[in-house]
Amino acid sequence: MSTKNVIGTSPVRLDAREKVTGKAIFPGDLSMPGMLHMKILFAWRPHARVLRIDTTEARAVPGVVAIFTAQDVPVNEYGLQVKDQPVLCGPGSSIEGGDVVRFVGDQVAAIVAESEQAAAKARDLIRVEYEDLPAVFDPEQAMQADAPLVHPERGMSNICVHYKIRKGDVEAGFKQADVIVEGEYRLPFQEHAYLQPEAGLAYIDEEGRVTIKVAGQWTHVDREQVAHALGLPEEQVRVVYPAIGGAFGGREDMSVQIVLGLAAWKLRRPVKIIWTRQESIIGHGKRHPAVIRVRWGATKEGKLVAAEMNFIGDAGAYMYTTNKVLGNSTIVCTGPYFIPNVKTDVYGVYTNNVPGAAFRGFGAPQSAFAAESQMNKLAEKLNLDPVEIRLRNALRDGDTLSVGTPAPGPVSIVQVIEAAARQAGWKETPQGWQAPPVEQPSEPHLKRGWGFAAGFKNVGFSFGYQENSWARVELHGKSEIERVVAYHAGAEVGQGTHTVMAQMVAEAVGVPFEKVTMVVSDTANMGNPGSASASRMTYMAGNALRGAGLAALEKWHAEERPAIAEYTYLAPKTTPFEKETGYSTPNFCYAYAAQAVEVEVDTETGEVRLLRVIAADDVGQAINPKLAEGQIEGAVVQAQGYAIQENFVTQNGRVLSDQLSTYLIPTILDIPGEIKSVILEVPDPNGPWGARGLGELPYIPLAPAVTGGIHAATGTWVDEIPLIPERVLRSLGKIT
Amino acid sequence: MLPWQIYLRPQTLAEVRQALDSAPKPVLPIAGGTDLLLDLRQGRHAPVQTLVDLTAVAEMTVIELRGEHLFIGAAVPVSRVHSDPLVARHARALTEASALIAGPQVRNVATLGGNVAHALPAADGTIALLALDTQAEIAAISGENRIVPLSQLFLGPGKSAIDKNKEIIVGFYIQVLEASEAFKVSSCFKRIMRPQGVALPIINCAIWLAREGDRIRDIRIAVGPGGPIPFRATKAEAVLRGQTPTNETIERALIALLDQVQFRTSPRRASADYRRHLVGGLFRDVIESAWERAG
Repeated sequence: MSTKNVIGTSPVRLDAREKVTGKAIFPGDLSMPGMLHMKILFAWRPHARVLRIDTTEARAVPGVVAIFTAQDVPVNEYGLQVKDQPVLCGPGSSIEGGDVVRFVGDQVAAIVAESEQAAAKARDLIRVEYEDLPAVFDPEQAMQADAPLVHPERGMSNICVHYKIRKGDVEAGFKQADVIVEGEYRLPFQEHAYLQPEAGLAYIDEEGRVTIKVAGQWTHVDREQVAHALGLPEEQVRVVYPAIGGAFGGREDMSVQIVLGLAAWKLRRPVKIIWTRQESIIGHGKRHPAVIRVRWGATKEGKLVAAEMNFIGDAGAYMYTTNKVLGNSTIVCTGPYFIPNVKTDVYGVYTNNVPGAAFRGFGAPQSAFAAESQMNKLAEKLNLDPVEIRLRNALRDGDTLSVGTPAPGPVSIVQVIEAAARQAGWKETPQGWQAPPVEQPSEPHLKRGWGFAAGFKNVGFSFGYQENSWARVELHGKSEIERVVAYHAGAEVGQGTHTVMAQMVAEAVGVPFEKVTMVVSDTANMGNPGSASASRMTYMAGNALRGAGLAALEKWHAEERPAIAEYTYLAPKTTPFEKETGYSTPNFCYAYAAQAVEVEVDTETGEVRLLRVIAADDVGQAINPKLAEGQIEGAVVQAQGYAIQENFVTQNGRVLSDQLSTYLIPTILDIPGEIKSVILEVPDPNGPWGARGLGELPYIPLAPAVTGGIHAATGTWVDEIPLIPERVLRSLGKIT
Repeated sequence: MLPWQIYLRPQTLAEVRQALDSAPKPVLPIAGGTDLLLDLRQGRHAPVQTLVDLTAVAEMTVIELRGEHLFIGAAVPVSRVHSDPLVARHARALTEASALIAGPQVRNVATLGGNVAHALPAADGTIALLALDTQAEIAAISGENRIVPLSQLFLGPGKSAIDKNKEIIVGFYIQVLEASEAFKVSSCFKRIMRPQGVALPIINCAIWLAREGDRIRDIRIAVGPGGPIPFRATKAEAVLRGQTPTNETIERALIALLDQVQFRTSPRRASADYRRHLVGGLFRDVIESAWERAG
């Protein structure tokens, strides 16, 4: 089957009309007769033991139906990777340590009332007696032996993750080096700032299941976590996703799910909650802040010979996905380059900050900032063009990664780098690649320059986890297929995945796109889709739907009517890091990216503008090119926020930038003058129709490309982001 | 969940007075509501019983010449202030500030009355009005309307001298000085902030000046946020009045400004050091523009 009919076209999104006309139902739009309203009492303090909760006055508020505290939660713990967080913090917890709040967004009580006002009023009348505990906010301090422990019940150290890579002999490698560049890079929190703050509605469905309609990223794991905390079998819990207003990783961890389920289960009435923006900002995890100290060596020919990396990531108060996020950081921190000798230590450290969580790129953006900045600095020292030095070191098929095994082929980083460079105007000369000339503006305080960076990202969680995804396809009709119904529980978080799924089903069974109906995101009648994260959904769901479609087609040809087949796709096997060396085959697929960015720096104000962004991404196969472009543009804009604008300010664990009026994300007037998407299609042998993953990829190279551009424009390296004007001016020596 | 119970929409000032006087308390006037509604919803302002909408009051929604003054109704949306030809002619700094307040949607409903009543030391509209030596007309539940200099309306950051339960700003008077043989007047407003706006500026500056040949006959300089209330750089004005704005005089004026201004560090926005650095370039830029315009 070499010709493709639906793959590679861009039909209108299945949800476009509803979303554009305002008819789409998001969790906050839901309501039911007899519905109650919930408010949460958050801790608003970074580290304290809850000694006493007095709800007497609160219960007297007219309309209050129930107030739940720790003692009401059957199994008072949850967590995606490690169950280290109480559902509600307070005395009487069924789990040890459940009486301690460890960050400002820990939840202390859930108040349910006939109206939202009554719930809010009662919340403010709850008297909580706290014993403040010594707190720690700097992960490096938290690593010290005498630091206050965030989880004393989990051992005598705040270090919750430590990954090691030992490849070759770094000291011998540095001896071969003609130049060595050392660097220290600092990366900030980032808030997901999705359009829709956390919200949901829970009720008991007609089959007696506690049913939670909510925005999440993985229906079946939400269900597992709710069931665990409520002490119920999973079949007794149902999770349904209505339209979801963005996720970006921030909805991988629980927010409102368990407390809603608890209230509906105990009260046998529908219960609804909507978090305010401020509650959302303090209440869900953030991109991990990191300090990365590195030393890289290269020969005068520009060949990398050794790299040493020390990465400290702020896990915040709970594990969330820190172990997985930092696994990616570990792989990506040496870049898409062949380096014979590598020594890497990556630490995740508990603190009393807002937890570090999944966020588009999943540990890769932090690492790429260090790796790509190192490449740009080496290029400067060796008088090489940034594109030229990258091509001299870019991974080729068969080259081993730092983990001692090669990336599954084909490795396309060379093509991707060349495509970005060419599109931006780089020229291949007998002396190697050369950057395009820059036209400087007439105002002497405005300086322009081109920056360049590359990046790569694994598709899927993996690291030994058996990636899987379930699908079902039904073919209806008589002599020919008239109607196709496909079931998949994968989360449509705005990326367009349901549309892409329908395209892949149509292609698999050979019908037009319009004949496919998707039935989605309900644990009641579907198998496990896996998470809508780690750039994995197109790859995993595509293979699952293709498998189910082909199996149904076989039944169709055997005259079954309707022809129905289910299929669970299992991705190729992977292995975890070997403890002392990191030796592993951690992933089954990678995707590759490169970006060139033309930057303008106002050397009087420190403002940085992106004039042009050239983003080249190998997606394997663009199932829907328009959506692929949308992903690239969205990722670039979000990465611009990370690189330049978004300044998440905390003070002793308290969040100061807790509204969108103080936490400034890019708007239409801030975004780059031009974003040029260059989509490459180097097929992955196991991807559906060759597709790799895309959602995170274009995010990764932007920040180091911008600082590379600032250096080209001004001669100054800025090794900490965000590049708020003040920081840029300090780097330029204009203020002290 | 509405943080108010009754919403009134009077058509005349008399009806406004009546509403403020007799509607169930607490009562507050509302115009664009772009600050007030956020404050009410986010719990920074206690809930109220009654909101009195001022945007249908005819006398508060006009822009017109009244004798030697340009009158701008306090309930005129900022986007209309921005596009009004009389404002462009007589109060160019205000035209420029009105283009920069918040974002387009907010400008379509936000008003200058609200901008001033909110009493923020860096509000773009307020800073422009301050440099234009604006007088405000205040109406109270009882008694005659009174006219007060804008500068008397501020007590501290976010603290207005107006008793919002009993008083409203009706409008603003800006003196109109037609160009003569002897001198010409102009004004200019600029700010430093990322292009999209929406949030408060890092720093802004408005200058009005009267030019007599190569001399500054008179000048008014406002900088935000330059202190707890909207700041007039009177010492810098004194340095420049009667002088030719050479580089040397402007530098002396800047020193006087820096000596008088009280920049503070706001952890979510900018440090005092950064503002001290920025104000020089901004001040030179604004005075140069105003000077050339009056040429």
